[in-house]
Amino acid sequence: MENTNWVLQFLGRLHPLFVHFPIGLLVVALLLEFLTIGGKRKGLREGINWMVYIGAGFAIFSALFGWFLKTQDDYSGDLVDNHQYTGIATAVLGLVTAIILKNSIKKAKLNLKAYRFMLFATVVLLTIAGHLGANLTHGEDYLTAILPGNKEVYSNKESGALLSELKGASELSELQKDKLSLEVRGLFAHKCYQCHSENKQKGELILEHKEGVFKGGKSGLAVVAGKPEESEIYKRIILPADNKKVMPTKGKLLTADEIALVKLWITEGAHWSDQAVKVFPEAPLKLVKPELPKVTEQTHPIDKIVSTYFDKNNVAWQSLVEDRKFIKRAYLDIVGLLPSPEAITTFVNDSNPKKRELLIDELLNDSENYTQHWLSFWNDLLRNDYSGTGFITKGRFQITNWLYNSLKNNKSYDQMISQLMNPDKSSEGFIKGIKWRGVVNSSQSTEMQAAQNIGQSLMGVNVKCASCHNSFVSNLTLDQAYGFASIFADEPLELNRCDKPIGKIAKVNFLYPELGSVEGKTLKERLLKLSEVMINKENGRLYRTITNRVWERLIGRGIIEPVDEMDNTPWNAELLDWIAADFIDSGTDLKHLIKRIMTSKAYQMPTVNYKKQEDLKKDYVFKGPVLRRLSAEQFSDAISQVVAPVYQAVAFNPNEEKMPAQRIWHHEKDLTNTVLPLPGKRYFRKVFQLSKKTIKNASVLISVDDAYTLFINGKRVGEGNDWTKVGKYDVTHLLHKGDNIIAVEGNNIGKIDNPASILFAMKVVFTDGKSFKLYSNETWKSTDRTPNKNWINLNFDTKKWKKVKNYGNSNWAKLLDFTFKEHEKTFARASLVKQHSFLKALGRPNREIVVSKREEQATLLQALELTNGAYFNGVLEKGAEKWLEKYGTDSGVIVDTLYQKLLGRHPSSDEQKILIASLGNQPNAEQLQDVIWSVLISPEFQFIN
Amino acid sequence: MKDKNIKMRSRRDFIKKMTAASIAASTTTIPVASFLSSCSTEVQKMAASADSVILLWMAGGMAHTETFDPKKYAPFEKGLETNSVLSTFPKHPTAVDGLEFSEGLQSIGNVMDKGAIIRSYKAADLGFILHTRHQFHWHTCYEPPQSVQAPHIGAWIAKELGPANPVIPPFISIGQRFTMGEAEELKAFHTAGFLGSEYGPFLIPDPSEGLDSVRPPKGMSLKRFEARYKLYKELANKSEVMEQASDYQRESLMRSMEQSYRLLNSPEAKVFDLSLEPKEKYDTYNTGRFGLGCLLAKRLAQNGGRFISVSTEYEPFLGWDTHANGHTRVKQMKKLIDRPVAQLIKDLDESGHLDRTLVILASEFSRDAIMEGRPGEEVRDQARRQPDKIEHIRHYGMHRHFTDGGSILLWGGGVKKGLVYGKTADERPCVSIEKPVVIDQVHQSIYHALGIDSQTHYNVESRPFYTTPDGKGKPILDLFGKEMKA
Repeated sequence: MENTNWVLQFLGRLHPLFVHFPIGLLVVALLLEFLTIGGKRKGLREGINWMVYIGAGFAIFSALFGWFLKTQDDYSGDLVDNHQYTGIATAVLGLVTAIILKNSIKKAKLNLKAYRFMLFATVVLLTIAGHLGANLTHGEDYLTAILPGNKEVYSNKESGALLSELKGASELSELQKDKLSLEVRGLFAHKCYQCHSENKQKGELILEHKEGVFKGGKSGLAVVAGKPEESEIYKRIILPADNKKVMPTKGKLLTADEIALVKLWITEGAHWSDQAVKVFPEAPLKLVKPELPKVTEQTHPIDKIVSTYFDKNNVAWQSLVEDRKFIKRAYLDIVGLLPSPEAITTFVNDSNPKKRELLIDELLNDSENYTQHWLSFWNDLLRNDYSGTGFITKGRFQITNWLYNSLKNNKSYDQMISQLMNPDKSSEGFIKGIKWRGVVNSSQSTEMQAAQNIGQSLMGVNVKCASCHNSFVSNLTLDQAYGFASIFADEPLELNRCDKPIGKIAKVNFLYPELGSVEGKTLKERLLKLSEVMINKENGRLYRTITNRVWERLIGRGIIEPVDEMDNTPWNAELLDWIAADFIDSGTDLKHLIKRIMTSKAYQMPTVNYKKQEDLKKDYVFKGPVLRRLSAEQFSDAISQVVAPVYQAVAFNPNEEKMPAQRIWHHEKDLTNTVLPLPGKRYFRKVFQLSKKTIKNASVLISVDDAYTLFINGKRVGEGNDWTKVGKYDVTHLLHKGDNIIAVEGNNIGKIDNPASILFAMKVVFTDGKSFKLYSNETWKSTDRTPNKNWINLNFDTKKWKKVKNYGNSNWAKLLDFTFKEHEKTFARASLVKQHSFLKALGRPNREIVVSKREEQATLLQALELTNGAYFNGVLEKGAEKWLEKYGTDSGVIVDTLYQKLLGRHPSSDEQKILIASLGNQPNAEQLQDVIWSVLISPEFQFIN
Repeated sequence: MKDKNIKMRSRRDFIKKMTAASIAASTTTIPVASFLSSCSTEVQKMAASADSVILLWMAGGMAHTETFDPKKYAPFEKGLETNSVLSTFPKHPTAVDGLEFSEGLQSIGNVMDKGAIIRSYKAADLGFILHTRHQFHWHTCYEPPQSVQAPHIGAWIAKELGPANPVIPPFISIGQRFTMGEAEELKAFHTAGFLGSEYGPFLIPDPSEGLDSVRPPKGMSLKRFEARYKLYKELANKSEVMEQASDYQRESLMRSMEQSYRLLNSPEAKVFDLSLEPKEKYDTYNTGRFGLGCLLAKRLAQNGGRFISVSTEYEPFLGWDTHANGHTRVKQMKKLIDRPVAQLIKDLDESGHLDRTLVILASEFSRDAIMEGRPGEEVRDQARRQPDKIEHIRHYGMHRHFTDGGSILLWGGGVKKGLVYGKTADERPCVSIEKPVVIDQVHQSIYHALGIDSQTHYNVESRPFYTTPDGKGKPILDLFGKEMKA
């Protein structure tokens, strides 16, 4: 930097040193001044005066040097600014104080009041400035970090209590010895691990485990049992603070109690307990169903618990939401679709007091739609997707088919878990992970991915940290992570710390060994054991984790947050445990779990406005559900239901009719390389023979990206310019026995090279019941030169035509309509669609890693997609035309229908007025499109209320 | 102090230019993705020498010996020994004494007095030499895969600095489509990752259609667009849901719609309209989509773009991915880049923006005729082996992936003018032999120019995630400063 001056910079850096002079001098001056109050101790006067003068002088220098420091070393920010202002003010006040003092001495009449007040004010400001300065150098949490209640802070209260307990005892019991050992090791964890751990072995000393502790370090034996004076640890912790060798070198020294505890432990033989030290809070593994509180006003078990909670927290029950809102919630939460106006009316008018429960049952029984809604939740959680990295080299497998059927058949959660842990081909994708080609970081091996994903998704524990080094955020160690990952490995794994091998082979183990052994000679054996251990009913974590996730999905905020960190404290442990235990009692029936929550008043209360996002995090108090935004899939499906299909083609079609038709195009090359098809027309031909039998009927399916004209035997059959719209033609009368010719003129639209393809299928049924099928494939021929008119006829020379290229179906989604069967589906559910820019913008994640919570905030990119996205706009255009056709041009009818279908209610007279004014008397498609858009973007539609 | 004044002045100008509406939009930004806790403390903000970055991305592996670091020229003849071919083009002088470029890059050579060249880039060893893996690494500084989604450098910059002009998205990616081969692998790093999609790339695959992404939908008049927005606002304000929505929910929804409306309705949208350029200028740039991308990047940088990447586009075996016909294909690629890149530098310089715009030209790795990877490292063969003797023009060129050498060009944003940094060997293997540079240093140098502290990181799932792994990367300070020579 050209504008720095080393002298100024040097002086600037003296600032932290200099500031201590005014602090010391002025504070002591004030103290002494207090002592002189009431005319006492007159002898102090002269001293105090000098202290004020010198103190003020140093204050001015300090401020000046501070300013140098700020400008020369490029500090900026609010904190610095505030420190600067208070610092300067201190200097000014100090000077004023000194001047008043000086003047009053001159006049030989001490203006005591003014001077004392000024001195006092100076010291107050000085304290503030000093505090801000300390925040700058030590960090703002320097002080607060040690306050009780902070997770990472070790309180020495326990050591004191334990010490007094043990001191009283003449001989220590085994239990007491264990306690002592664990306490001392806890002390090590907080005070010493930072430098003396597997992660960071300063002085070659490791205090994390028995071997390390008794092996000692460079300076000798750390612990000599029975002899504290010979133990390096003890010798170092009792040194005075200014001794270079004192331990710990970083942070606060040990308290007297703590030192006494270490001494006692060594004196008593340095017993080593086999129990693991839990440094971080850990949720209990076991799950015991709590007894329900005896609350008579509530009948639902959840409400009984919530009621007690409400009493304790002074929260009042709200009356439940009206039927209209409830049915919308229930539909969106169970099947992910909007209720039809008819369904709403029927429900509202139903006088059965149990109708809400009946509705929940009815929706849960709609297995197909239930599956197609909840599939997205599971896809996110199990990192399953139809496209993504890894597939290109078969380094990744889908579990879609398995997952779909598991949900559709409502497999028990236990069954799902054991099939994921001990999978067959259909469900192995989850533990197989994503394999990238090439060398990957050892913490990203597929075995480690399995450990991490099972930890995060199913057990709510972070294994990611421990897969690289002993965790800083949980009790998990590198050993444990590798032990867990080893279950999935073909050969024993060698431990790597921060991607460097450490020459230690992992011992196969489950994260929570108390649940049972997972050892086995073969992979299959270990996976089988794992599948049993996971669903061991002692494994409360598994059930709490899924219960909490479903609660979060339905209520908008988990009982524990973040939902992946199940060691955090729940806002009501009893509630979580009861629902989880009830879930187990139901035979781990996921639909039961959903129903249990949705039938409670807790779910059916109005949404609560937590003003700030922070209110949902820290010190959260449950008062009712939170307003949720429609998910990308819910939004897209609702538009498909009401306006026009957003998608027609899927990546996974559960009812697919398998056909070997291939997506073909002219083979385009540049030099020797295959390139993307260029824009323009291409011509395709296929000649085929029909046997002599008489034709009963014949039909054709065709989809071309971008446009086509289809000819059969020289006759024009049809054309199309939207690949998602399948052309279906009856061609019975165009075919005849002997040679026939299919000719397709394809057009790749656009300005630049882009994917293009023809997909074609024909089915001919003869009167004898036999059939003939023909598909687009590499036996077709094509050309990029405009042929003469005769090209659509049989007698045409195709010598110069080339074999077509199969561009692979995977680049295009599967069209629901591309089937010879009759079917009802009118649109593709978004959960089955390959990741698409529109869904992505609305928050559907790329499932490269587990995503357990989607982004909730609306973003600019999202808003842009909704405001001018070509795709969305195209759907609305089609929708508006369809609506005009269907509902005519009566603006009143249109507005009312739109509101009923999208919002489940009639418009208010205000809204009616605004919208009809915008539509006019004879609305055209554009006006209608804009009205539909405005309602779709409106908050009432975007949020689940 | 000189630098700071320039910055102040340009900021003031910039504010003057903004419409009242865009100022309104700028004062209230969308809340930061909530799960992140920033760890970069206030005191660490540094002085910046650049406000914007343009990354000119040579996708597919550009051979340094065929472009910006030519070696001994071996003219084509049948029977030529492959091992004797280091460069298939003759050398030409540039505006910098002693600096020579390969034939076909004379225009870029002529603007080298305004910039610097790193001639010692070393790509990472990732086992396999794969384009998308190395591109992932280049753009995120992390090796794939990662257990959290690593953000693109553009997303980091968008997050740390925000938009330079409130209505122009801070991270714009021009020229790359996600159509067929390795599309998913490309998507994996064109992301803001854990920073949140707010900071993700604004994609403009075809620069000539850039305007479409920032104006009302096709076929919608401005009048209609405004009426539609008014209608939405009227309905939204009547909605009872808004009372139940928390402040942040309401904020984020209404604000994002408002921002998008302003962007689509703002005079700045003109920046995206290439047809407003004089015909002559347009033609100079128009060597194809990449050239027009440079033109768009120029317009964006002059009007408050923050991070803009322009790619020659990666599609397996196309573009710079020359597995055969290297010589012929590189000749085409040079035609594509030479004129527009040079023009971009000249135009930015003339308009005074080059001082505060860091322009970088780079590629994921280099190429060689013989060696795959680097000396001493065993990697799987990705490219077919060359015959020992060249019998056909299609064998003539650099067809294998080489990671131990490579050139990066830099202009503006405080970069020393006329600097040649590092060196590769003159004989095969043409490895980096002086001041080797790795990607962490490149990233940190860019952050340094922008005034983003090297220790910038966020806690993701309770772990710190730095701009460069473990926060260990250091900028190359020698790249910055006064010019090299009079």
